Amino acid sequence: MAEVKERRVYDLFIGPNHPGIEGNYSMQLTLEGDKIVKAKTQGGFLHRGFEKLMEERLFIQNIAIVCRICVPDPDPNEENYARAVEEIAGIEVPIRAKYIRTLVLELSRIASHLFTFGGHAGTIGLYTMPNWSIADRDRILDLFEELTGARVYHIYIMPGGVRRDFPAGFKKHVMEVMDYIESRIPYYDDLLFDNAILYKRAKGIGKMSLEDAIKWGVTGPNLRACGLAADVRKDDPYEAYPYLDFEIPTRTEGDALARLLVRRAELIQSISIVRQVIENIPEGPVWNKIPNPLKWKVPAGSAYVRCESSKGEYAYYMVSDGGRKPYRVHVRGASVTHGVHVLENLLVGSRIEDASQIMFSLDACPPEIDR
Amino acid sequence: MEKQVTARNVWERIFTKLNKRSLWMLHYCTGCGAIELPPTMTARFDMERFGIMPMVTPRQADILLITGYLSLKTLKRVILTYEQMQAPKWVVGFGSCTINGGMYWNSYITIKSLDQYLPVDLYIAGCMPRPEAIIEAFNTLIKRIDEGKADAWKDYYRNYDFYKENQRKVLGEFETYVDIKADAKRFGIV
Amino acid sequence: MEYVEEKKVVDDIKSVFKEVDCIIKRERRVEVKLPKEKLLEFALRMQTNWDFPHLSAISCVDWIDDGEFELVYHFWSYNRKVLVSASIRIPREENAHFETLSHLWQPAKFFERDIHEMFGITFDGNDDMSKFILEEWDGPPPMRKDFVTREYALSFYHFREYHPEWMKDLEGAGEK
Repeated sequence: MAEVKERRVYDLFIGPNHPGIEGNYSMQLTLEGDKIVKAKTQGGFLHRGFEKLMEERLFIQNIAIVCRICVPDPDPNEENYARAVEEIAGIEVPIRAKYIRTLVLELSRIASHLFTFGGHAGTIGLYTMPNWSIADRDRILDLFEELTGARVYHIYIMPGGVRRDFPAGFKKHVMEVMDYIESRIPYYDDLLFDNAILYKRAKGIGKMSLEDAIKWGVTGPNLRACGLAADVRKDDPYEAYPYLDFEIPTRTEGDALARLLVRRAELIQSISIVRQVIENIPEGPVWNKIPNPLKWKVPAGSAYVRCESSKGEYAYYMVSDGGRKPYRVHVRGASVTHGVHVLENLLVGSRIEDASQIMFSLDACPPEIDR
Repeated sequence: MEKQVTARNVWERIFTKLNKRSLWMLHYCTGCGAIELPPTMTARFDMERFGIMPMVTPRQADILLITGYLSLKTLKRVILTYEQMQAPKWVVGFGSCTINGGMYWNSYITIKSLDQYLPVDLYIAGCMPRPEAIIEAFNTLIKRIDEGKADAWKDYYRNYDFYKENQRKVLGEFETYVDIKADAKRFGIV
Repeated sequence: MEYVEEKKVVDDIKSVFKEVDCIIKRERRVEVKLPKEKLLEFALRMQTNWDFPHLSAISCVDWIDDGEFELVYHFWSYNRKVLVSASIRIPREENAHFETLSHLWQPAKFFERDIHEMFGITFDGNDDMSKFILEEWDGPPPMRKDFVTREYALSFYHFREYHPEWMKDLEGAGEK
């Protein structure tokens, strides 16, 4: 008599209304006991049709909506859009504007990494960390408010330069905030990065080898945690990065703990970049005049620009046909590979209690996938 | 004719006074306005001193916060969630996208006016509203609950056909698992 | 400016595909225009012979006046630090189709799924052409140029009525 072994499998939907998901996303898991056998991700809850909306607005009207594509880290969007238009139209950006753009991008990277520390710590049950790191991130949002007028969506980087110059006393405030955040890092080490429970829970979770990571299209801090020192700021330089001095931190293990520690090292590098920018910024204008925006026709052409956001490689492909509105803007978010099939590949074979931690450690941000 | 002070009235007043100081908000980030919620919940602006805490399941939550625009796919889940919440419940529309469509007014997939599909108690203007504005809105809601004016949830039972028709027009036929007509009879509405 | 590595990449491409249009756009950017039959061989050589392991994105442009779709594949090399954008054209019809690259690059599976639901192009050989984003949507593929989103939004959705005094003369003037 043949023995039929019964497998007890059931489906679990970790759906959009869930605190263990970063943003508004859904994972459909098939479980056998506590082990995950199949995983399917489902997105599209945040779709607004950005690429279509951008085709119906003038070039200058688009800078108001383009920052809303990625919610925690909006400045790479404005930067990519401005640089794509400048490359097609052949506009030069003054050197002071390049330094100011670098400053805004690095401050946004620090704010996004502080947010990620809080999110990752929340998945293992340490809720003191988000209370501290998100409150410290607010100091950086105060700096943005002083410079651009808004806390989250700045609408500051535009084709030709930036919108306005530093207000009085701004440089001193930036240095004060950088000193404050640097003084908080020993507290974070005590609480999270040297915590024995984090090492027990995050070591070996979501492990990727370097060949797998390159095959799956992983970029950003996730790839640097597998051992390859690849960074768009060094490989494909833009703005003021060729004139600045910084390192690319890497680790070799490729698991959730390594990704978190790479982000911590990047935070320290970003603080040093901000200090260099403030000390060495040259004088000059901040905006090169573009023609009358309501009648401006950008010549025909196409451009593919990339930048390094806090989540990975962020790219725009823009095509213009010589009119007043863009013909096609294609947004390649950084999480479009991380959140869809890298997450599915890593979830299979892991356990249900680690599913949430894997998503937060990859830092997959759903608005970039759905646009 | 003066209002009779019955035992039920006194209990209702005590219940309102206790309820308004312990409103639990559903932890559901429906749109991009949700980026200003963690600063409101954490140490700098600290919403918990008013008694407002995030809650993960709709069965035990009081406030549904629609943070920003609603794509059609999320609208279906929001309606299912709203009908699972227990009365009394309050809906707060966050940002200008719930009022008239906001920046995405010519998008093919976001809804333009939230109160066609759900009854709304309070709107917060802005894109996006600051944490101070969110706290002021919650204080206004607490005051309204105290005065007894915040009962838009009864409107869902009274005008269920209107809401159901609008939902069907954008989403097609779909099944919610709550029997609204039976609930309405139990509350004595309609 | 010396384009050392970019010239080497162009030489590699021209040594196999002798008649294609291949230019150096600026530093670190090379553009190639291919006939659509050669794309699979080109992609295979990029991955195995010429050290381009990273497929950054697949973009699609709808040239409605020419009656064609343009698919652009962007490849990046970590060692050579050059980005190659290879573009092909396929005819624009109701059920346009092309062959898949998902057996060579895993990210291509999702990129092609996204292009399928937004433009309506089917990729033969890709077994997952289900909808990812537009599940509550049963209209035409929205990114095509003959779908005008403004008219659709104004006719399908209900807007809030708001006619204050100060707006009365603006409403009469209409759009410039």
